[in-house]
Amino acid sequence: MFKKLIAESTAKSPWLFHINAGSCNGCDIELVSVLTPRYDAERLGFKLTGTPRHADIVVVTGPVTKQSLPRVLRAISQVPEPRCIVTMGSCPQSGNVFKGSYSVAGPLSKYVHVDVDVAGCAPKPEAVIDGLALATKILKEKREQM
Amino acid sequence: MDFPFVKEAISQLFSKSSCAMYPAVPSEAAPHYRGRIVYHPDRCIACGMCERVCAGGAISRTIEKTEEGDRVTLSFNLGSCTFCSHCADFCTHKAIELTGDYHMVATREEDLIVTGSFIKKPPVKKAAPAAGQAKPAEAAPACAVAPREDGKPVSDPSRCVYCTLCAKKCPAGAIEVDRANKTWKLDDEKCVGCGTCAEACPKKCILM
Amino acid sequence: MSTVLTALQYLGYILIFPGFLFCFLAGMLLCGIDRKVVAKMQKRVGPPILQPFYDFFKLLGKETIVPAAASKVVFLAAPLVGFAALVVIQLFIPVFTFTVFSSVADVIVILYLLLIPAMAAILGGAASGSPYAGVGLSREMVTIISCELPLVLILLAVGKTVGSFLGTGITFSLTDIAAYQAANGSLITKASMIPAAIAMLLVIPGETGNHPFDAAEAETEICEGLLAEYSGAPLAVYKLTHAVKMLTLTSLFVALFLGGIGTGIMLVDGIILFLLCVVLTILTISLVHAVTARLKIEQIFKYYWTVVSGLALISLVLAWYGL
Repeated sequence: MFKKLIAESTAKSPWLFHINAGSCNGCDIELVSVLTPRYDAERLGFKLTGTPRHADIVVVTGPVTKQSLPRVLRAISQVPEPRCIVTMGSCPQSGNVFKGSYSVAGPLSKYVHVDVDVAGCAPKPEAVIDGLALATKILKEKREQM
Repeated sequence: MDFPFVKEAISQLFSKSSCAMYPAVPSEAAPHYRGRIVYHPDRCIACGMCERVCAGGAISRTIEKTEEGDRVTLSFNLGSCTFCSHCADFCTHKAIELTGDYHMVATREEDLIVTGSFIKKPPVKKAAPAAGQAKPAEAAPACAVAPREDGKPVSDPSRCVYCTLCAKKCPAGAIEVDRANKTWKLDDEKCVGCGTCAEACPKKCILM
Repeated sequence: MSTVLTALQYLGYILIFPGFLFCFLAGMLLCGIDRKVVAKMQKRVGPPILQPFYDFFKLLGKETIVPAAASKVVFLAAPLVGFAALVVIQLFIPVFTFTVFSSVADVIVILYLLLIPAMAAILGGAASGSPYAGVGLSREMVTIISCELPLVLILLAVGKTVGSFLGTGITFSLTDIAAYQAANGSLITKASMIPAAIAMLLVIPGETGNHPFDAAEAETEICEGLLAEYSGAPLAVYKLTHAVKMLTLTSLFVALFLGGIGTGIMLVDGIILFLLCVVLTILTISLVHAVTARLKIEQIFKYYWTVVSGLALISLVLAWYGL
């Protein structure tokens, strides 16, 4: 029963950590707008944390540049289990218009397992909420399997 | 130390919130929002213009030979798309459409790919392009040439200035213009009859 | 037999009513109400009131990572020590007339015990070996120093008022203060105590480390400061400590200034105390959180040592001359 309580709580309190891997800032602003009074993701329990140690969901934006790649991987590896990785926008999924650039090391899925992709350039805040809700479901499943 | 927003905060405490309760209350995208791509293979003529103008390299075209003709498959990777609408704007046959659907969330990358395919009959037989799209040119008065039956372009040498714009615009590279010798040549094999050349012509001397 | 009963009774006090269980439930509820009210004030819907419980149980289910550079024992024990100290304070603070432990100088005990959660956080942060925690702990120390002076002045002012009535100089016994208020009405009705009460209201958000005095745990600039390396169960205990601190300080305010309105029935008293704590939390923590931005550490220091200490000093001087 205690295990079930924890799984239920995991679904209700997902904390986000946002990594900018060379993003143009478009997706970053859309992610912040999810937490504004208009969309208020806090009513679903989402909270933006300042350190990867507190996070459940890691949101990656940007095409993963060569400079940011080791830092992204280090930050992701510091997130305690169960964790969920969400790529936001087209850049971390494929490189988008930065594809083929000498400084881009992406896509992110080459290096870590990505749980949810939110497409869009930049995605609408509603789409971000959709993606985070899906990530929350995956998080709960991962917790139940632990 | 003064707190300028105390009154505001207390009045908000008793008023309604300004939240859009999104997952509970569905929300429509604004008009002209550029979301998920919808591809209409029945209108496509496989000219490749979309692939050429795509900045993100999201569009790929594959052609495989079958008995009935060439099977042309276009796939749009939404995970690589900037939703700039260039492909839809350049499509002469309106085969690409950007809809207001923004729910592009997937757990696998394959789910973000929109594909469509159609069979393009070989040009030897009857004209392949969709009927009705390639309208016969409205009889230009001083036209020295007649429009071709198979919907392919033909240039009027009396008005042509050999500016080579049509050759530059042609996605298939079917037009060859020699400015020195004043010749305009069309490669029938390569031409798909998209009409880009006619649109680009500054003298409007190309007839479809 | 009677010793067994007394022992059981005290165990009940420690584990259930003013002790552990009450602290846990009331503190978490206060935290939830605070978050909800702040959201409402910012025109948001806000998280459910039970959100801190969800956060707590979720964190219990997360992996606990101990950094390689950390000193393991201190790192893991610090949150527990801090939480235990807060529960002990709750046993010393009278619920109107009822006190579990009373002594002649429990005000001083409380002053020292209030330092322990902050010191535990500093020790834990230092043990984690993170540079962010290093910045956070230096800020936390400054915050404690800035809050401590006004708090001492407030306690002196209250002690002097009650002590001069009892003829014992300054009293350091919360039991005496509670008894005085039960007999003569709440201290807040005395004109000389009003500046001290206002100062105490301003001390509460600083002691709990709430917005705008949360420079030590600034998540946007120094990655949550002291808590940068914590994850899983120790972090859950820290969140709990933070929630219980709100309860402790608001109930200390009730004991100092709003005493004497209890009914004598423990359950009813507990509910009244909790409701008063809710009102105080909304007033001092939520409202201030909703309308201010985070202060710089030197601004916090300056603010507490000038404005708040000044208010408390006025009260002390007034009390000294028996007004």
